[in-house]
Amino acid sequence: MGDVSQLNEYEYIEGKERKSLLSKSLRPFALIFSSRTATVGFAIVSFWIIVSVFAPFLTPYSPTYQDWKAPNQGPSWNHPLGTDELGRDLWARLIYGARIVLVIFPVSSGLWLPGGTALWGVAMALLVGSTLGLISGYKGGWIDEIVMRLLDAMISIPVILLYLLLVAALGASAVNVVIAIAIVGAPGIARLVRGLTLDIKTRDYIRAAETRGESSLYIMFVEILPNTKGPIIIDAMLRVGYAVFAMGTLGFLGLGLPPPSPDWGSMVAKGREFILAGAPWAALWPSVAIASLVVGLNLLADGLREELTRYQ
Amino acid sequence: MGWFILRRLVLLLVTMVIVSVGVFIITEASPGNVARNLLGSFVTPEQEASFLNQLGLDEPLWKRYLYWLAGTDWIASKRIGLPLERLTTERGFTEWWAKLPSGDLIRWQLKGEDLVAVIKHQDGRIEEKLDNRRWRKGGGGREFFWGVDLHNRAVLWQKGLSKKQWVYVHGKGWVEAAGGATDYIPLKKGFLRGDPGISLRTGRPVAKSLFVRLRNSLVLASISFVIVMPIALALGIVAGLTAERPIDRALSIVGMAFSVIPEFAMGIFLILIFALWLRWLPGASVFGNHAPWERPDMLILPVLTLSLIELGYVLRITRASMVEVMRSPYIRTAYLKGLPHHVVVFKHALRNALIAPITVIMLHVNWLLGGVVIVEVVFGYSGLGKYLLDSAMYKDINALEAGAMIMVVVAVGTQLVADIAYTFLNPRIRFK
Repeated sequence: MGDVSQLNEYEYIEGKERKSLLSKSLRPFALIFSSRTATVGFAIVSFWIIVSVFAPFLTPYSPTYQDWKAPNQGPSWNHPLGTDELGRDLWARLIYGARIVLVIFPVSSGLWLPGGTALWGVAMALLVGSTLGLISGYKGGWIDEIVMRLLDAMISIPVILLYLLLVAALGASAVNVVIAIAIVGAPGIARLVRGLTLDIKTRDYIRAAETRGESSLYIMFVEILPNTKGPIIIDAMLRVGYAVFAMGTLGFLGLGLPPPSPDWGSMVAKGREFILAGAPWAALWPSVAIASLVVGLNLLADGLREELTRYQ
Repeated sequence: MGWFILRRLVLLLVTMVIVSVGVFIITEASPGNVARNLLGSFVTPEQEASFLNQLGLDEPLWKRYLYWLAGTDWIASKRIGLPLERLTTERGFTEWWAKLPSGDLIRWQLKGEDLVAVIKHQDGRIEEKLDNRRWRKGGGGREFFWGVDLHNRAVLWQKGLSKKQWVYVHGKGWVEAAGGATDYIPLKKGFLRGDPGISLRTGRPVAKSLFVRLRNSLVLASISFVIVMPIALALGIVAGLTAERPIDRALSIVGMAFSVIPEFAMGIFLILIFALWLRWLPGASVFGNHAPWERPDMLILPVLTLSLIELGYVLRITRASMVEVMRSPYIRTAYLKGLPHHVVVFKHALRNALIAPITVIMLHVNWLLGGVVIVEVVFGYSGLGKYLLDSAMYKDINALEAGAMIMVVVAVGTQLVADIAYTFLNPRIRFK
């Protein structure tokens, strides 16, 4: 008897939560905190989000201010993490660097958009990938054949080659980094969405919409797309981690953001030259930062996926 | 099966065409050009134009792509009126000669107003003599001549119109010299006939330097592959057998961290630990002209970096596969039959559990290539990846195309091998 009533209570709570907007918005957090892995990941990611949002209040230095009397120093009272080869404060560069990844997308010198460069990259990949996947899956026929063969070819190109070509050709800027992340990510998303679309397309409500005479655009974006969101959200979370990884790699190869901006990857590339001269700090901190953020994002995504599949 | 392989080979061809055209278009569309990258930014517009003309880079895009693909000797041969032949000298340089009807080889050189022929007789004797009777009358009363010059180009000389030309001198780079012509076709056999051309950056045949680079990269990748596979598979199996217990938790989290930390960050950590603080190993892998195996101490850190990254990935895949197999009904049957644990694991579970990792690892080569490139850059290791990066930066189109083609063949080729291996390992799968 006890078991049954507990089960019913669970369903009851489920039903109640659907009514209240507040508890509905808290539900993802309940999900995160029910998994230890996800909680740790969430803590790491929140740390970086908080320091990047409040960056101007957390350091007296600007990320480009050069203290030419104190280059390549270790941690000290004035510079908590030390300075780089031009005497710039590493803590300031680190947290302003996190800002570019997570909070700000610098489109050009005077214009920036909210949402980090990595997030915009994933968003663009989602936009392109799910559009292609929807069209390919819903229309079928020769359109499907052509799109999928082209994507097959895209997927078989080594990713690093794509990066080299794209950004070496387009030049180093945040917009080009976003384009690179989007182009590399889109084929995978398109395949995922196509698979989901093929399944959803056979449902009765799609038949109903077709009988109503809805346009295929309406069916694709209003009827099918919202029903693919579950798997896509999980996939997108893993992709954010990968986008941060990609940004770092591009920066390290000299294809990231142009020099004065505090790009983690390029900080490592520059700092690497001074390691064997006895100044490891400039290479160490951004490496630690990028490694911890990527690991944090993956822990969060892995934990969430585990929790979700457990309930299913 | 045959149909399936054919289909995949077509996909490989399509990918190669897409990539090769893409590389040409992208290199074209991007700012800057190879002349400025190689000669420096103080070069005058006239010098720049003449350099581009000499390398055949002033031709339209489609023509350059055609030349790269199919070569230029057949066009040049028609202009010159003699068949052309490619020789490789004892020191490994490529030389192009025109073949006279007598069987002797001939090239030309412009000295002031005079055309000087360099003739290589069949017995190896080399003779120089004036050859002014070859000038042909052209429109406007000018005398002109199509021939092969000493720098492996088919050239159009006009009498009394000697221009400056750019010559690659080993050790000095590109320098200006007299005796230039008005039009050039650099001679090559074309990619389809196995000649990827000359690297604009180093002046050497791409095929030659690429071979050494490819060998170095293979050494790096295969050593870490041999080290990592047994360890990762064993750890993955352990994690799979102890699923959800502390050992598995620890292995899974560490494996995940290793596999997602960017290669350059991992490289930096290892350099700091082993080269800077412990001072056990060199922090860079600069071999010069030596082969990597002559300095094994320099190989350790790059191999370790690559191994740790791959370790995490293979471990995760093996664990997932092992967990799935251990939950399947036939394993339960084996236990219920009363078989001991080790027999169930080693005789029944293992073989099925290893199918997925082996094929997934082959598919992972695409990513491994990326890892190799980054590791090479971190440690200054002269492999294929670094060559490709440098070529991309200089817009050295011949080197870039050749490197890109090798990467595509490696990536798509291993995918094909993986799919074929899968059908043998898992007879339930049949390709229509």
